[in-house]
Amino acid sequence: MDAQAISTIVGVIDKKMTRQVKQYLDICARCAICKDSCHQYVGTGDLKYLPARRAELVRQVYKKYFDSAGRFVPALFEARDPDDTLLDELYESCYACTGCRRCMYYCPFSIDTQQVVAIGKAMLIAVGRGQEMLGQLADAALFKGDNVEMFREVLVSGFKDIEAEVREITGDPEATIPVDKEGAEILYVALAGAHSIRPAAVIFHEAGVDWTISLFEAANYGYFFGDPEKARLIAKRFMDEAKRLGVKEVVVPECGHAYRVAEIFYEAWSKEKLPFKVSHILEVVDRFIKEGRITVEKGRIAGRVTYHDPCQIARNGGIYEQPRDVVRAIADDFVDLTPNRAEQWCCGGGGGIVAIDELRDVRLKSGAKKVEQLRASGAAVLACPCENCRLQIEDLNELHGLGLQVRQVIDLVVEAMPLPGNRPGAQ
Amino acid sequence: METYLALTSVWGVYLTAVVFFAGMGLRIYQWATTPRSPVPFGLFPKPATRAGRVAAMLRDTLVAPHSAKIEPRMWAFAMLFHVAALAAFVGHLRLVQECPVLPDLLGAEGMNAFAAWAGGIAGTLMMVATLYWIARRTFGPFKALSVPEDYLLLGLLLGVIVMGNHMRFFGDVHAAEYRAWFQSLLAFKPHIPEEILASNVGWSLGTHMLFVDALLIYFPFSKLVHTIGSFAANLTRSE
Repeated sequence: MDAQAISTIVGVIDKKMTRQVKQYLDICARCAICKDSCHQYVGTGDLKYLPARRAELVRQVYKKYFDSAGRFVPALFEARDPDDTLLDELYESCYACTGCRRCMYYCPFSIDTQQVVAIGKAMLIAVGRGQEMLGQLADAALFKGDNVEMFREVLVSGFKDIEAEVREITGDPEATIPVDKEGAEILYVALAGAHSIRPAAVIFHEAGVDWTISLFEAANYGYFFGDPEKARLIAKRFMDEAKRLGVKEVVVPECGHAYRVAEIFYEAWSKEKLPFKVSHILEVVDRFIKEGRITVEKGRIAGRVTYHDPCQIARNGGIYEQPRDVVRAIADDFVDLTPNRAEQWCCGGGGGIVAIDELRDVRLKSGAKKVEQLRASGAAVLACPCENCRLQIEDLNELHGLGLQVRQVIDLVVEAMPLPGNRPGAQ
Repeated sequence: METYLALTSVWGVYLTAVVFFAGMGLRIYQWATTPRSPVPFGLFPKPATRAGRVAAMLRDTLVAPHSAKIEPRMWAFAMLFHVAALAAFVGHLRLVQECPVLPDLLGAEGMNAFAAWAGGIAGTLMMVATLYWIARRTFGPFKALSVPEDYLLLGLLLGVIVMGNHMRFFGDVHAAEYRAWFQSLLAFKPHIPEEILASNVGWSLGTHMLFVDALLIYFPFSKLVHTIGSFAANLTRSE
């Protein structure tokens, strides 16, 4: 590793260092209490997935350049210059980390490994070793943001196709998917793909809400890639759209990280107060059910139903009860996984790892605890928000022959609604 | 012997005090002057009020209930060590001033017996916990996580404790003599009482202090800054 690259990496650590992370790096006692909290370490037994070890790689470089004792006696801390071995391990440990922060929950000092991993990713990106696929997806999203008129026609015709399905399901030939509607109450920012638009459109229509759909998608590969500036710009696309249309509420889909980016991070990143509320779609659906704006019936979903807390909306987003209330309202037999809520096991599919082919093996192994939990619940249906969780659990379902139906929660809600065109089991 | 004690238990103590307090000050200064991330790092559910946040921080730092849930044995040994260390620290305050009330109640002999028991128990528990940590680190599956610092600190700690216990279990010198020595340090008129020099634990005191000096000089530059940093980090948990 040449001097230039080393100084680039050191410069990035300096630029990215925050008080919180500095404290994390200084105080970690390497007690390894985090070892049993991490689904990846538990599932693989591989040291590089131990949360404290992920941080240790960053700490080795930090100690050498930013700590007097580390400079004075580097051997004591194994402080060293970043080299290929270090960066190779850092790549695997950082891009495999799902950012679930279960280790932070159990750490006696509440060390947020995800924030240290963020510095690790920034080090990798600085020397051109960022994860390529995630970087490309982030750039594609930014390109779309700058050239939205190029995409408008295709998008709108796609919405029209979905609109036809919505009309069929609701039995209302007037049902629409409004685009660019100024002054609408809600701007719904979906994921790319009809599956996240159709059920939401049915629900909004039935609730009689004044809504409009975003031309952009809520997924944020800039966040997974590890570049907060790109992540901010990707989210800014629909935040600006919401301001332009003057909506009262931005609703993000079931996707986990989209909610955390929009609700927890965006205002801090952009240093502005948003003139509207940001909600998760399941908060909104829960509200509609409780206010009687939509009708759902029990008995339309067969079998025991359980619920998986996606880390980014639960432990890291604070949405625990609303989705459970929604599922309870539509399921006869609801059972929670054990453990649940803040202690819920990460499924292993977060942080962009489902898009990274080379990490497929560790991803599947890291689902061991989730498989155990799902088996023990005896459920036939899993209500599972978050696209990444679903992709991962679908893979686990197949691999371990769990025979589970893994369903988006809003799909289950639509299935539980007494609608003329409601096809049972419609995906 | 006099030279050894002068080095470790007089001039070493002064040096240690300067390095320790300056080092901790420097560490706090470094933290305070690094800009905070504007992004909230908190985990949910979060306490609603400021008082609630402080209460949660104190609970998480002093009791660490979540760690207890995931690795009860490690938690038990860690609690054992920290509570015993706190008790030992309180006991050492007798070096500055004899504790109030107790000596009147127990009498001089009774007080010495009480101190022997309390100090002996605390010292033994600390030793057991430290040995457990050494074993856990050396034979655990995550051994490769450890760096030399970890063993150095455990070694220094063990040295402090073993020598302290030696004075406690095999010495016939009591608090009054040690107090005379320590108060002479505080008054900047260092003097080592004859009783200590003539006793069988002069060497143990010197070696105890050698380890203490090394541990505390290294303290501000080591992971032991978790003693103060854990309060800040656990407050971040609810921001």
